[in-house]
Amino acid sequence: MKISPPVRFALASSVAVGALAFLSSAALAAALASCVKSVDLATLGPTSIVGQGPHGEKAASVDEVKLSDADAEKVKAGHFKVGISMQTVNLDWSQLQVQGITDTLKKYGVSVTGVASAEYQVDKQIADIENTIQQHPDGIISIPVDFTATAPTYKKVSQAGIKLVFMDSIPTGLEHPKEYASMVSADSQGNGQIAAQILASCVDKGGTIGLVNFGVDYFSTNERTKGVREWMQKNRPDIKMKQVDFTDPAKVSQIAGDFLTANPDIKGVFAVWDQPALDTLSSMRAQNIDIPVTTVDLGLQSAIEIAKGAPLKATGSQRPYDQGAAEAMAMMNALIGKETPAWVGVQSLPVVQSNVLESFKTVFKKDPPAELTDACNGAKPACN
Amino acid sequence: MTDRLVTTAVAPAPEQRRASTLVQTLLRSEWPWMLYLAFVVLLVVFSFASPWFLSIDNFLNIGRQTTLVSIAAIGMTFVIIAGQIDLSVASTLALSGMAAALAMSHLANFWFVGALAGLGTGALVGLINGTLTTRLAIPSFLVTLGTLSAARGLAMMVTDTKPVIITNERYFRIFGEGNLFGLPAPIAWTLAATIGGVLLLHYNIFGRRIYAAGGNPTAALYSGIQIKRVTTWAFVLTGALAGLAALILSARSHAARPDVVQGMELDVIASVILGGCSLFGGRGFILGTLLGSLIIGTLNNGLVLLGVSSPMQLIIKGAIIVAAVAFTKR
Repeated sequence: MKISPPVRFALASSVAVGALAFLSSAALAAALASCVKSVDLATLGPTSIVGQGPHGEKAASVDEVKLSDADAEKVKAGHFKVGISMQTVNLDWSQLQVQGITDTLKKYGVSVTGVASAEYQVDKQIADIENTIQQHPDGIISIPVDFTATAPTYKKVSQAGIKLVFMDSIPTGLEHPKEYASMVSADSQGNGQIAAQILASCVDKGGTIGLVNFGVDYFSTNERTKGVREWMQKNRPDIKMKQVDFTDPAKVSQIAGDFLTANPDIKGVFAVWDQPALDTLSSMRAQNIDIPVTTVDLGLQSAIEIAKGAPLKATGSQRPYDQGAAEAMAMMNALIGKETPAWVGVQSLPVVQSNVLESFKTVFKKDPPAELTDACNGAKPACN
Repeated sequence: MTDRLVTTAVAPAPEQRRASTLVQTLLRSEWPWMLYLAFVVLLVVFSFASPWFLSIDNFLNIGRQTTLVSIAAIGMTFVIIAGQIDLSVASTLALSGMAAALAMSHLANFWFVGALAGLGTGALVGLINGTLTTRLAIPSFLVTLGTLSAARGLAMMVTDTKPVIITNERYFRIFGEGNLFGLPAPIAWTLAATIGGVLLLHYNIFGRRIYAAGGNPTAALYSGIQIKRVTTWAFVLTGALAGLAALILSARSHAARPDVVQGMELDVIASVILGGCSLFGGRGFILGTLLGSLIIGTLNNGLVLLGVSSPMQLIIKGAIIVAAVAFTKR
């Protein structure tokens, strides 16, 4: 059968276009696959705490709240009791915190009077703390649901002679060391730096990245985005940054999708925590966009996405169990009358495809579930 | 008052009179013509304001982004025309998504197992809403306020608030990421729900009974319409459609989460009312509802493309919705 010249031309050009598309997508895939590998895991992330506390304090390391043998004896002899007041107990993050606190306290013979969960409600937390004060514990470890409305109630804790250790943030107006012994949190800025460093390794010179940022003024999310911006300005000033803010986490998928439509020059995305990153991924899949994404915090679904290899490349994870253990140590220091640092920062953990299983164990203190190991097995040998 | 005096004092020319009669007819018509006009104006404004707005890809974005609200709003149209309200759609969606994902991860990893579990759970919540509203004569506002809370609580309790991962590729393709009849799956499902809704509401005896139940329940009762049964079915339909929306959302995000789409019921109700439905029952159209949802979706999309800050987006969105309803209700 003879093929007419116009048909031949059309066939040839479609084959050429197809081949070009294949080659360019293969080149893109190769570039994306190699981008994280150029970063050395051993040198990834900050070697010490980079952020500052809410009042500009320098961070103390976890080592600074370790107990000597003599101190440990004093703690055991004190038969202390400690109460815990959480914002919720329904998150992995808060369960691991509580587990870290109780395991550590138990080791030194300190008993936990109870764990109250405020369900994110200010009035419930105020009642929880007042009820805990009535149990006359020696100390309370708590994460404030709100910075201002709970402050007067927290002041009552110190007035009652009870030691106070905060996780993550400090209510407005409380002074160290008079009104609280210590605050322990992740190094959010350091986590942001990890995300920035890996994202930068995937973006060509002069490229543009998009930051999907939480538009509400909140200490730890502000610090993360700040960490990314500062790292880029210092180490990759060639990279341009564009930002979109969301205030309702339920709307991230739409907002991030539209942001990428309006800014087709964006070649990489940082999302401020793992759920917004996953919502950004779902819009990218719908719009056939394949660019690297990095974030902060680790959950099962984000771990699975990282294990698969693309497009979620990395996260800077908190270590909630270790943060809980540090809170318990700071509390015991305070209970035996030792000076305690205003802010203890717990170092960031970089999580990439090659260490995702091990990192999952480090963060969650348990073996990875089947869904994660299956995803990792499907991406061997890159996944470990 | 002054306006009226002026218009009576100066008689309009015959052509003017014809034009104003046409406008009045359009305004008085059952169809929300002003809404169509508002939508066109919105499209024109955004097309000039943003170079990225006027493209097929972006319209597909809007179609995909409005899927959940559109599908749930089609069900809500039936409930509102029947003179009721369903505040529980967002929670029903979350619970149905969890049921679909759990069925696939624990029973059998087939897409239709997930689909049946999701649709069935949605329909069941609808049945509970409908039965409590009609048999116990509790106002649907209160019944569904209760299920809003209970269904969300149940969704959170089944996995202790953890998400359930979905691994079924076919499920992703059918409901989330593939193409059906040449259209992105979520958009194809929205069209299917719209066509089904139009046929059921406007070309079927069930639809006429729904209008009668909401428009004049006493007359409907004396005409032999089983209002309780019809109303219950409207709730079941809304629940099942929330279940369909749940399948699409969970397929798109490769997981079901219990905390998704909180507060979506307000967007759903806004779409229905914007689309020309009376909040007091008896009046409404499926295509109007779809248009209402598209207007809200286009606003969301266009404002992000223009780079408007998110608090400002909320203010503009609120103002435009109220203005659009005010015009269409004249």
